[in-house]
Amino acid sequence: MLHFPLLSIIIFLPLLGGFLALATGSRWPLLCRWISLTTTLLEFSLVSSLLFLGLQPQAGPTGVWLLAEDYSWIPSLGVSYSLGLDGISQLLLMLTAFINILCILVSWRAITTKIGAFHFFLLFLESSVMGLFMATDLLLFYLFWEIQIIPMFFLVGLWGHERRVYAAVKFVLFTLCGSLPMLIALVALYVIHGQQTGIYTFSVAQLMHTNFSYTTEILLYAAFMLGFAIKIPIVPLHTWLPDAHTQAPTAGSLDLAGLLLKTGFYGFFRFAFPLFPLAAEASVPLLIALGLAGMFFTSWVALAQTDIKRLVAYSSIGHMSLMVVGVATWNLLSLNGSLLQMVNHGLSTSALFIMVGMIGERIDSRDFADLGGLWAKMPIFSVFFLFFALASMGLPGLNNFVGEILLLVGIFEARPLIGIVSFGGLIFTVIYILRMVKDTLFGEPKTTHTWVDVSGREVVILVIMALPILYLGLHPGPALRLLEQPVQHLLAQFSVLALVR
Amino acid sequence: METVLLLLLLLPLSGSAINAAVGRLLPRRICEVIACAAVLGALIMAGIALALAGKQTYDLTFFPWITVGDFSAAMNVHYDPLAAIMVLMVTFVSSLIHVYSVAFMRHDSDYVRYFSYLNLFVFAMLVITVADNLIFVYLGWEGVGFCSYALIGFWYKDAANADAGRKAFVVTRIGDIAFGVALGLFFVLFHSFSLTYIDSHAATLTSAQATILSLLLLWAAAGKSAQLPLTVWLPDAMAGPTPVSALIHAATMVTAGVYLLMRLFPVLQLAPIALGLIAAIGAITTLYAALAALAQTDIKRILAYSTISQVGYMILAVGAADIVGGMFHLLSHAFFKSLLFLSAGCVIQALDEEHSIFKMGNLHRLRPMLSYIFLAGALGLSAFPLLGGYFSKDRILLATFIYPDFSYKILWFIALAAAFLTPLYTFRGYFLIFTARPGGRTAAEVRPLPKLMVWILWPLAILTLFDGLLNLPGGIGKNFLGHYLEAVPGARPELGASVGLEWIMGVMSAAIVLVSLLLAYVLYVRRPAPEPLRQGFHDFLFSGLYLDRLYQVIFVGPYQRMTEFMKGRVEEQGIDRGIVTAAVALFNRFWDTANFLWLKVDDRTIDGSYSKAATGFLTLSRGFGYWTSGRLSTYVKMLLLGLTAFLVVLVWGWYD
Repeated sequence: MLHFPLLSIIIFLPLLGGFLALATGSRWPLLCRWISLTTTLLEFSLVSSLLFLGLQPQAGPTGVWLLAEDYSWIPSLGVSYSLGLDGISQLLLMLTAFINILCILVSWRAITTKIGAFHFFLLFLESSVMGLFMATDLLLFYLFWEIQIIPMFFLVGLWGHERRVYAAVKFVLFTLCGSLPMLIALVALYVIHGQQTGIYTFSVAQLMHTNFSYTTEILLYAAFMLGFAIKIPIVPLHTWLPDAHTQAPTAGSLDLAGLLLKTGFYGFFRFAFPLFPLAAEASVPLLIALGLAGMFFTSWVALAQTDIKRLVAYSSIGHMSLMVVGVATWNLLSLNGSLLQMVNHGLSTSALFIMVGMIGERIDSRDFADLGGLWAKMPIFSVFFLFFALASMGLPGLNNFVGEILLLVGIFEARPLIGIVSFGGLIFTVIYILRMVKDTLFGEPKTTHTWVDVSGREVVILVIMALPILYLGLHPGPALRLLEQPVQHLLAQFSVLALVR
Repeated sequence: METVLLLLLLLPLSGSAINAAVGRLLPRRICEVIACAAVLGALIMAGIALALAGKQTYDLTFFPWITVGDFSAAMNVHYDPLAAIMVLMVTFVSSLIHVYSVAFMRHDSDYVRYFSYLNLFVFAMLVITVADNLIFVYLGWEGVGFCSYALIGFWYKDAANADAGRKAFVVTRIGDIAFGVALGLFFVLFHSFSLTYIDSHAATLTSAQATILSLLLLWAAAGKSAQLPLTVWLPDAMAGPTPVSALIHAATMVTAGVYLLMRLFPVLQLAPIALGLIAAIGAITTLYAALAALAQTDIKRILAYSTISQVGYMILAVGAADIVGGMFHLLSHAFFKSLLFLSAGCVIQALDEEHSIFKMGNLHRLRPMLSYIFLAGALGLSAFPLLGGYFSKDRILLATFIYPDFSYKILWFIALAAAFLTPLYTFRGYFLIFTARPGGRTAAEVRPLPKLMVWILWPLAILTLFDGLLNLPGGIGKNFLGHYLEAVPGARPELGASVGLEWIMGVMSAAIVLVSLLLAYVLYVRRPAPEPLRQGFHDFLFSGLYLDRLYQVIFVGPYQRMTEFMKGRVEEQGIDRGIVTAAVALFNRFWDTANFLWLKVDDRTIDGSYSKAATGFLTLSRGFGYWTSGRLSTYVKMLLLGLTAFLVVLVWGWYD
């Protein structure tokens, strides 16, 4: 165990930066922006430096981790402040830190009111997500899980577009509806485990060995899954997301797509499945059905959208749906694919949201009726737009393809029919993505707006967005190596499903 | 050898990358030189590779790409004689077309985009050609699909062009789905994506497995090679610049499907039923497209349908288990069809973007050299006796005829009927464009063309006339190509037909071509009625046998209605709206109350008294004053309070 609390520093560094940003925001807005940017850059280098420490997985009281921290926190309740880092967390931390740099950069000109508070909320959110991805104590996890609602609520509600209050309230309502049952289940789990073993603890590693009656397990699992499913979101529970995306400022959309959806997904495979394997197994057909339905449904709805940002939001749900099918399949390839796809989706969808945000900053509209013919007006913008659209539809050589092919082959290996249907879904993705590309870039311009091609700052943003997309598409090896050990661990943990295969 | 093959792939890729990245900053001439040099360099590498390799096979791995457990997608190549020939053809035709494009695009200001797509296309096509790992093949497969999409819609300002590109991408993707499923199945059955591994272990497949795999591959090939029922995208693809049609939609990309089938022939070989279906699709497509070509008026659409028809022959060859014949026809087709497209491009530019053959005429007198070149291509396409196109098509017909299964005799007959129609539609076009007729063009109406555009066609014309020497059915160079391809799994250099039968078939093919030519002459020169076909039937053929309209009714229309329904009924009138709206109203009321309380109670009393009380606090409150004024302060204060509490608890626990 490392005595230097590196993981805690990773969690609380953004919060510290956030307070500084808050204090300087109103007086010296530029200083506030630079403080925030420095904080996110520092955070990113801190998270990246973990890669070069030569960490080896070590077994500790909270499980097998590359790096762990474990402090007793509220001993009387068995709550500990315990963190663990493995390859999955590592990838997600890097994604989180990366997306946050971009959040600051895209808000440089777009956010002009209450600058300090805005950056504070962004960094606060970063802290909570960082903590969530490393928490190995269920109560600590829940704390981070709940806390992230607050900054997100304000980001949408204060800096959003016309119907921002509606969207923000909807977001909170949905999330709370999911997380309150989760809290109850959490306590129930704690009590059941305590009664069985006499040890009252929230440590995930220990709770993993609780025995339940089948009904209890199903109920607890359902309560947990509800919260996760709303966040992911799995299709009938998704209706908050398009509204939240449409109303959120660009940085808010980045956080939603890049981080918040991932937290739901993270809980899904990290806690819900391993804690309740029998119930999880029973839910597999339902999850697959909802995942497939989600893929096709979102493709259809996306095609009919008139607001480009809503279209991207639906495409985001569509991508998540395939990943849900992947986790429900739970084999080596599909898990690797899903986990890698979390990062890929975070990158490519965020990139599209950034581009949509740039459109919005220019003409104050995101309606296809006002778009079209941009290629002639903004050639550099258009090249990037096409690039990210291609990444999003899974063109080989770009990042999404790697995750998708692993997912699809994995799903096909376990369930050929489901695999075939999932492959079929790819056509429909192409249809709406190409529609988006055509209605934005091609044809004659429909309005007389004067378009200004991307500025230097925007080119920088787009280039740093494009590089990891290309890198992960061509050389996913390092990322996959990070996942190797944790995926093995997940597969072993969840041997019940594996035995059934 | 490794360096040569690596350069072969990297030269076009870097050409594309350089032009895409800095092309706008460079002078036009430099961009063009970079693009052409990249492809010419690839051609030289192809030549060196062929010289070095001879009949040998090379398996090289460049780069491990995706590796998870058994799943291994490496960037590796399998360079065998089949690939060697294909690489040479692709780089050769691409080089000529790049040079031609320099002249063709001389008035277009968007040359940077054009050349970087074109270079990228060559790279992706070469990947398909040499790749060993099927996922690497898939990279090229989707890569050419994207370039095709982007170049069809190259003149994007016309939304119709963009739509044509989109149609091409979506329809070929329908084929790609089968490719994807085949990938999954290969993984399950072999735990490998390597072509060589699969080919050498194909014998372990059961007949059912082989049949399913073959049908999936057929479906994938049908998408890329525009075979029935996925033909509909290719005629529309003619919206792109003509050199693009020549390169992508005639010589190279559309043959990728056939090529894939040839590369995996050991799998197909095990599935006689699938082979039969492949042959049937090929034969029927051949006739279908030939019929449709008869009624087209757009010179490029005639050529597009003829491409579908000729690729049908190649598919038929694979179905008749004669990949040598298929490859031979692929080569001769690449030469004569790119020749035809490029000379059609000259015609179109000479006549100021006129596409309708009925508005042409008299061009033989006005542009004799162009006329001769076009004639060479037309003769090649018509399979005029002793040209390459004749020998290759004849070999395919023979292979079909002698295939030991009666149903192939029917397919043979269908293909023969198409062979009869080919000269008819080809020379219908030639005669209407070039012969003297009333209503034809006058010298004043014909624009001058850069000399380069016409001269660059000669190598193709010469190859069209003499490429039959590659694989003569008898004599000194007997089956040269066939023997070169010997090492390719499944290739049969000799078909094993009796000499007598070969002669009979050869003479019959020749006779059919000559009769058809004569008929074309009578119909379009001697008795120049504009359209001899009846109107209703003409419409039927013109529309590609209503296939497009059928798809519109069955698939596209319902799909669009479905999306509208989903959005309108399900998404916008979802039940969550009512609940959330009510909650928002409630929240707003709460908000107002809270605000009221804050403003009245807190701000005026507590905050107020603080600021009056001590001047020392004044400086402090100025520092924080901005964020403690207005609504925002409510949340931030609450939040800070909560956070502090959280941190205190946390730190407390820490040192406890």
